[in-house]
Amino acid sequence: MLILEHISKTYGNKNEKAVDDVSFEVHPGEIFGFVGPNGAGKTTTIKMIVSLLAPNSGKIRINGIDNQTDILGAKKQFSYVPDNPELFEKIKGIEYLKFMADVYQVPASDRQERIERYLDIFEIKNAVNDPIGSFSHGMKQKLALVGALIHDPQVFILDEPMVGLDPKASFELKKIMREHCDRGRSVFFSTHVLDVAEKICDRIAIIKKGKLIEVGTMAEIREKAGSQESLENIFLELTE
Amino acid sequence: MKEIISLTKLFINESLGFSLFFYNQKFNKKEFYKQLFTLIIVPVALIPAFFMYVSLMSATYFGLTLINQTSVFLSIGYIMATVLIIVFGVMYILSEFYFSDNIEELIPLPISQRKLIIAKFLSILVFEYIFAAFILIPILIIYGVGQGMGLLYGLLSFLVFLTVPVLPLSLMTAVIMLIMQSASLKGRKDMLQIVFVFIGIAVIFTVQIWFTSQLGSGDEADFQLLMNTILTNNEGLLNSIGYLMPTSFLMAWALNKITLMSLGWVATLLGITLLSCALMVTVGNRVYLKSIVSGKIIKKGKPLSGAQRSKVLGKKSHGAMAIFTMDLRLLLRTPVYFFNNVSVVIIAPLCILLSVSFIEIPPEDLQGMQEFFRAMPILINFLLIAFFIFFGGTSATTASTFSREGKASWLTRMIPVTARDQIVGRTGVAMFIQSLGIVFTIIAVQFIFPLPLSTLVITIVLGILGSLPILLFGLFLDMNRPLLNWDNPQKAIKNNMNVVITLFVGMAYTGLLIGISGLLGYFVNPILGYGVFALISAILSVVFYQVISRRLEAEFLNFEGN
Ligand SMILES: Nc1ncnc2c1ncn2[C@@H]1O[C@H](COP(=O)(O)OP(=O)(O)O)[C@@H](O)[C@H]1O
Ligand SMILES: [Mg+2]
Repeated sequence: MLILEHISKTYGNKNEKAVDDVSFEVHPGEIFGFVGPNGAGKTTTIKMIVSLLAPNSGKIRINGIDNQTDILGAKKQFSYVPDNPELFEKIKGIEYLKFMADVYQVPASDRQERIERYLDIFEIKNAVNDPIGSFSHGMKQKLALVGALIHDPQVFILDEPMVGLDPKASFELKKIMREHCDRGRSVFFSTHVLDVAEKICDRIAIIKKGKLIEVGTMAEIREKAGSQESLENIFLELTE
Repeated sequence: MKEIISLTKLFINESLGFSLFFYNQKFNKKEFYKQLFTLIIVPVALIPAFFMYVSLMSATYFGLTLINQTSVFLSIGYIMATVLIIVFGVMYILSEFYFSDNIEELIPLPISQRKLIIAKFLSILVFEYIFAAFILIPILIIYGVGQGMGLLYGLLSFLVFLTVPVLPLSLMTAVIMLIMQSASLKGRKDMLQIVFVFIGIAVIFTVQIWFTSQLGSGDEADFQLLMNTILTNNEGLLNSIGYLMPTSFLMAWALNKITLMSLGWVATLLGITLLSCALMVTVGNRVYLKSIVSGKIIKKGKPLSGAQRSKVLGKKSHGAMAIFTMDLRLLLRTPVYFFNNVSVVIIAPLCILLSVSFIEIPPEDLQGMQEFFRAMPILINFLLIAFFIFFGGTSATTASTFSREGKASWLTRMIPVTARDQIVGRTGVAMFIQSLGIVFTIIAVQFIFPLPLSTLVITIVLGILGSLPILLFGLFLDMNRPLLNWDNPQKAIKNNMNVVITLFVGMAYTGLLIGISGLLGYFVNPILGYGVFALISAILSVVFYQVISRRLEAEFLNFEGN
């Protein structure tokens, strides 16, 4: 569903790779966690997947489409919620949602049904007629989530989704992720909160200083580390 | 005092972007040299214009000596400087007092409102002194040398010069503060506030012009009579012009001949200036922060019912339309953007209307003009085309289209919208605003004389077509180097080189194209003139369109992190 092959990226300093030869695959029906400490290269990797940054080398395929040869085709396969969703402050919530439905060409009946459903789940129905500038951080994040779910993407990509959400919303989001995968689609998200990854991910990848150090199910990673410890401890050992 | 000075420095620094300049000097050499280059090239480019101005003024002075009217010379300069200061001042005052975000950081600090107002005022004043110096100092020197004035003239004229920007600027600030206050009290937000300011200022000017015209023509002043008084009385011209700006009399009495009275007049001028400053500070102290705070409250909408929501969401729009709507909404709802990109299409036609209603053209002259243009429609056609291109191309709306989205531009780059839809939507917004300007202008011009249908068709089609290459050029620049990392929307336009370049290149290009096709049309054949104009515009548009649509998706990958 999502395949990365030998992805590398440097910013200004050419000797320091923010992402260094990263390869992994996210299967259909899978919640995949991308775990690593601050500055490990998670956001950079995600930006390359969602066509906000060009990798220096490597290939990314989303639902079989190469995101460098068919940028537009690849963009239709995913939706993305960044860690800090900056939205147009002067635009009303509902205008934003209509915009998203329009650009993803969502049929009229689907868009209404989905928007109503997710607005209810995230409890922002009464705020959608307000300018986004008046939203709190968490509300913006919820609106971005609703906007991202409108077109029912093949791959749902989230950067640090649990940061900033209240416990109820974060619970609901996990439920939505699971439902999404149950319909044969995939979820890919980054986090530095380990117990989140441990509880809800089918598989995880651990990244440190731009390099992938482990990929697999929790059981596989435990086996390799040779212990029954929690991910927290394994992670601390691995990223030391 | 120390506090005021350091605040003033901070504001000046902020509006010039000096910190970024020095940051770039250390960390981003390429960007630094570009900034340095513009910092040098702009003043150098202005030198010839300045020399032209000085020689024009010398010639004017010489002309006035011939008709024995040198006494009006200083007043002309004074009035010119004042008018320019007011025109630029409105923009400076609005952006420094109302559009700048620094106020949010400053309100919580223990700084008195009075000090804030004074510091902001001083930071504007610095720029206005530069304007005033370029206009007024040559005039003061020409007059001083021409009349063989001495040291006392030098001293007094310096004191007068000091008052020149302060007086109009402080009155203007007080007026704008009052207007903004009443606008925010009524719960009017954003662009409506700006419209309020324009209307308020227009009303004040109208009243002032009406008032002076009443003073000037007590009873049907015969032109011959006026000429007579001007030629026999060597202050005749001064008296008829001075009414435009009453304080110019004080200046003229003080400097035209240096007597003991001059000291008194200069003192009066200084006194009035100080009074107007005090007035501004008093007014500001009452209304400024109050209206800022109430203006910051974002007005929320009423919750929508399910039916209302589905009404909004039920309509499907095309991708280009979605981009168009979003871009237009941002432009209309963000005051600085509205002010910079939209307001001109309202103000310029309004100016035409105002001037028409005050300058009474005798019917026989009007008839003559109409016949002249009927005989040579190509002149008025190209004149109108230039005007229409000015609304579209040179307002550089497309040159900041990505920059205006700032940190939210990730959304634009992430969504699956074709390059074609992006180009059509964004260029469409600029054209939409341009069309408003065209319609308003045509309505205003209709009051002077009705335009024939052929003129309407030719100017509208060619005006829009002619600005298309400039619009696409602006889009091309902003696609290559958008300015996204701002915290204050003002920067997306004010600190944006794309806008400056599009403006200058657009003007030069328009001048050249209209010059060439106008000459061809005039001397060879009108059809050829229009044809060449249309052909060049079309070819350039196609070329730019192709380049942008091919590059846009790839450029989106380069917006950050390189
Ligand atoms: N725009 C940028 N310019 C330069 N370096 C950057 C930029 N963005 C991220 N980096 C660097 O790249 C590395 C990876 O950052 P990031 O992908 O944001 O990490 P994470 O999301 O895992 O916390 C860090 O060392 C960070 O400093
Ligand atoms: Mg991150």
